[in-house]
Amino acid sequence: MPYLTMSGVRKRFGGVVALDGASFAAERGEVHALLGANGSGKSTLSKVLTGVVAPDEGRIEIDGQEVRIRGPQDTRKYRIAAVYQELSLIPQLTGMENILLAYEPANSLGFIDRKGLERAVLEVAARFEQALGRRIDLHRPVETLSPGDQQLIEAYKALARQPEILILDEATASLRQAEVEALFQVVRELRDKGALIIFISHRFQEVFALCDRATVLRNGQTVGTVDLAGVTEKDLVDMMVGRGAVSEVREAPTPPRDDVVLRVRGLCGPRLQGVSFELRAGEVLGLGGLQGQGQSELLRVLFGAEQASAGEIEVAGRRVVFRHPRDAVRHGLALVPGNRAREGLMLGRPILENLTIASMHRRRRGPGFLSARREKEAADGAVRSLGIKIGHLSGPASTLSGGNQQKIVVGKWLLNKPRIILMDDPTKGVDVGAKAELYRFIRELTQEGVSVILNSSENMELLGLSHRVLVMYEGAIADVLEGDDLNENRLVAAAMRVGRPA
Amino acid sequence: MGRPLNPVLIAFAIAVLLFVVGELVSPGFAAYSQIINVLRVSSFLGIIAAGQTLVILSGGEGVDLSVGAIVTFGAIVASRVIDGQDAMVLWGLAQALAAGLALGAVNGILIAYLKVPPLIMTLGMASVVKGLSLVYTKGQPSGRAAPIMVRLVSQETVFGIPGILWIWLALMVALTFILRQTTFGRSLYAIGANRQAAYLSGVPVKRMVVAVYSLSGLLSALGGFFFLGYTQSVFLNLGDRYVLPSVAAVVVGGTSLAGGAGGYVGTVVGSIVLTVLQSVLVTLRMEEAGRQIVYGIVLLALLAAYGRQYRLRQ
Amino acid sequence: MAGSVLQTANRGLWRSVWDRFRVPAWVSYVLLAAAVGVNASLQPYFFTLYNIQSNLNTFVPLVAAAVGQTLIILGGGIDLSLGAIITLVDVVVVTLMEGSIERVPLALAAGLLVGGLCGLANGVLAAYVRLQPIVATFATSFIWSGLALWIMPRPGGSVPRAFYRGYRDVFLGIPVAAWIILGIIVLWLILKRHRVTRYILAVGGDERAAYATGVPVAKAKVASYVLGGLFAALAGIGIVANTASGDPYVGGPITLTSITAVVIGGTRLSGGAGGAGGSIAGAMILSLVGNIVFFANVGSYYQELINGAIVVAALALAGIPSLRRRSL
Repeated sequence: MPYLTMSGVRKRFGGVVALDGASFAAERGEVHALLGANGSGKSTLSKVLTGVVAPDEGRIEIDGQEVRIRGPQDTRKYRIAAVYQELSLIPQLTGMENILLAYEPANSLGFIDRKGLERAVLEVAARFEQALGRRIDLHRPVETLSPGDQQLIEAYKALARQPEILILDEATASLRQAEVEALFQVVRELRDKGALIIFISHRFQEVFALCDRATVLRNGQTVGTVDLAGVTEKDLVDMMVGRGAVSEVREAPTPPRDDVVLRVRGLCGPRLQGVSFELRAGEVLGLGGLQGQGQSELLRVLFGAEQASAGEIEVAGRRVVFRHPRDAVRHGLALVPGNRAREGLMLGRPILENLTIASMHRRRRGPGFLSARREKEAADGAVRSLGIKIGHLSGPASTLSGGNQQKIVVGKWLLNKPRIILMDDPTKGVDVGAKAELYRFIRELTQEGVSVILNSSENMELLGLSHRVLVMYEGAIADVLEGDDLNENRLVAAAMRVGRPA
Repeated sequence: MGRPLNPVLIAFAIAVLLFVVGELVSPGFAAYSQIINVLRVSSFLGIIAAGQTLVILSGGEGVDLSVGAIVTFGAIVASRVIDGQDAMVLWGLAQALAAGLALGAVNGILIAYLKVPPLIMTLGMASVVKGLSLVYTKGQPSGRAAPIMVRLVSQETVFGIPGILWIWLALMVALTFILRQTTFGRSLYAIGANRQAAYLSGVPVKRMVVAVYSLSGLLSALGGFFFLGYTQSVFLNLGDRYVLPSVAAVVVGGTSLAGGAGGYVGTVVGSIVLTVLQSVLVTLRMEEAGRQIVYGIVLLALLAAYGRQYRLRQ
Repeated sequence: MAGSVLQTANRGLWRSVWDRFRVPAWVSYVLLAAAVGVNASLQPYFFTLYNIQSNLNTFVPLVAAAVGQTLIILGGGIDLSLGAIITLVDVVVVTLMEGSIERVPLALAAGLLVGGLCGLANGVLAAYVRLQPIVATFATSFIWSGLALWIMPRPGGSVPRAFYRGYRDVFLGIPVAAWIILGIIVLWLILKRHRVTRYILAVGGDERAAYATGVPVAKAKVASYVLGGLFAALAGIGIVANTASGDPYVGGPITLTSITAVVIGGTRLSGGAGGAGGSIAGAMILSLVGNIVFFANVGSYYQELINGAIVVAALALAGIPSLRRRSL
């Protein structure tokens, strides 16, 4: 009988099925990986366990007893703690205040025992500090700490809750190698004391280094559980993506033309340190490397959404300075931002308005009058050419699935006939079918001479679509891959700076 | 979380219901002339709340608490310039509108560029404008409305409807058109629904914010000008009574306080609901105390019906 | 993912665009020092006991109200009914006193109870019925002021002489009003050590993170409103002592002044950061500015204008750093 069993878990968010009868079982004393592509439901499943998400259906058993988790406050009873990818720290509170938040030792009147609190926190911190070899200032508001230190505080926080079940959801994303090692050491100690650790990560290297078994999810369903000793990365990938999806990407792209449409020289700015490159008409230029190395910032600076502190940008041979995205739009640029809900869509507004917002100035008459008919024709055109599945143009964008939402974001720019499209991880949280369509679409665009700069967290996508890939590391271009070098080994090696002083 | 019923329809049904209640309590309450009279009184709130609608639609915690003070200031300027002469009406109106526009623009600029929270900014502006009114009048407002303004508000035209109601109707049509069929309106909804997405779609967010608060100032001054035709002379707290009801009218009309959803038709109905409610309570001979309590409870009920926020647990 | 879609799209009306707006702490204290300095130079008798006393007497209500508003704003809410609660407490206390000193304890207890209950109602509406606090408290403000009018339709009532004389007295060489302000500060310092304040800060800082951590979010919110109501009750009692009568309209203007005091005092309007110390300074600044304008002989017509202009200027000053950051 496994220590933890989850079975038949279902959850819908609006029109999107996140979990479709997923199941999961794990033992005490193991580190169990939970794997799956983006949008496969692994985060949702872990949030069901921590009470943040209320499942529509499903059964959870801990130690043979059925349990009902009605909210995060119940996790205390079952000794469940989590290190979240989006941190659960309160930015203005100090590390000391955050780590035992809601678990503070207090007297019967509710006054916090500050000495006791400090003792408990320092005890947890000490376990890390030994492994880490340094100390994090626990008396500063956590918002003033580096992202890595915040991530570590988040880990302290989970550990301080003395969990029997610990969930690590992309907990290593912003950690350096030494910090990852320290975290793993603490996690192993916890495992050896008999706790169950659920490890969610995109990094196979870490999964194989730390975990004993793995359960794979795909499209909200459980594909299976395997012993990691007996499988290879490729086996896991096959389980995660199913077969055939990857090969879809691989197709020889049309070679770009010779004319340079965008030239960037010595660009510095938020997290950028001297970026230079050229983009040709009809070219797909990939941005690779570990995530968070300045790729998104580069796209935002190019689009005028953030300001460069130094460097030059030339569009079609003319020097430009964009003070507002509008300036970039006028020069034929478009940005498909990384966070659809926050930056791409007005979720509560009709699909029609989402599609037409960026190009309505092209169709206005007089001081800004719009014709309902022409707006609708424009929107219909975008819906048709991208094959967007919608109910009605007047329905809110929030009712669409992730893939169709992303097509809306792409579609709004097509109506503007851009020359350069900047894409920031456009297939994140998009289902396989919609992905393939977006790929096809990118190819069609480049055939028409449109250029694309594509930042992607999926290596296969980058390799399959790009003519060249710029590998970024700490805000600079560390490597340029093209031709035969466009393979995953080279890409991963370049991203991790293998064979170079880190 | 879809909205099961259209809030504008709910508000409309409540307005009708209130007329029915009034009629039951006091026969003649819902007579044609009485209805017209209630609508006439609603029109001032409705016009003032037009600017509030735009501000709230623009999102970003948008709210304009300086409307009352600007209403007063607009009326003071108009009254002094016009001083009972029909010939001066347009000149007085122009000056009042210019003043309202300028004050609103200051709100907008500080909110958009200096990032002062709208609630606090417009609150501060309210006391500045009150101060301006005092300085401008030396505590003694002078002048009076021109006869033509009084006629506009009280004299019946076709169907026994006073001119002010035709103007209100025209404003409703114009604003609804602007909101739905112009780039300005689309941009307004866009910045209200998601500022970041609007910005990244090329919408000039800051300029929109300045424009919206400027318009709110302008429309408040316009409301003050018309209200002057009703009161005929000015007093220093003329507009105070409109500050919070203007917000309430917008909310009752189903415009989301979070911005990006709603419209002016709702506000028109909301203004009528609030005015009829007041009128029913007066008819019931309820004292001021009881009227306030009922007013508050009705507001709460309406909010609970369609103004609820999301649960934390997903 | 759909989950994060919902999450981010609705991440709080109150913490989006003006997320970062906060008056730096030093600004509040510099302003306070400046206000005291200017006051002293304009008012020859500023530092006399009598003058300090009469100043402090009028400060107490706003100081208490500002502390109450601070707790609510720290928790991510706002209370537009605070002034109405003060009014209601004022008339309840005066009515129950009936001019007799024996009834003072009962009246004060009732006043605190009323303040706490009003806060409780506001908190339940904001946290459990999930109404937007700004409109919910706007609506309840009508109910509280309606109740106040019902209890006392016009200003009046009698307050026992010993009560208001005591308030204006001096104890151990320090005015009683100063003791009260000191008491309010001590109360805040005690509260700061309590779990509830930490939860309120956590909820105001990041409601979702607080929830995911297991903080009782709804209860913390309710607590912030109840505490706010209790401090409003203190403010109401202060007004009774200072004016020696009841007035069903007395609290109205305090709502907005209290919010301004909180902002000038360096608390973030979207919650999570700040504290009552700054708000107390803010309340005193506002009171002193009123004094300055009064004593500067600028002519009574200019007083309100200058008052408002100073507040707006302070807000604009606090916003200047954001000009350098090019953002939305």
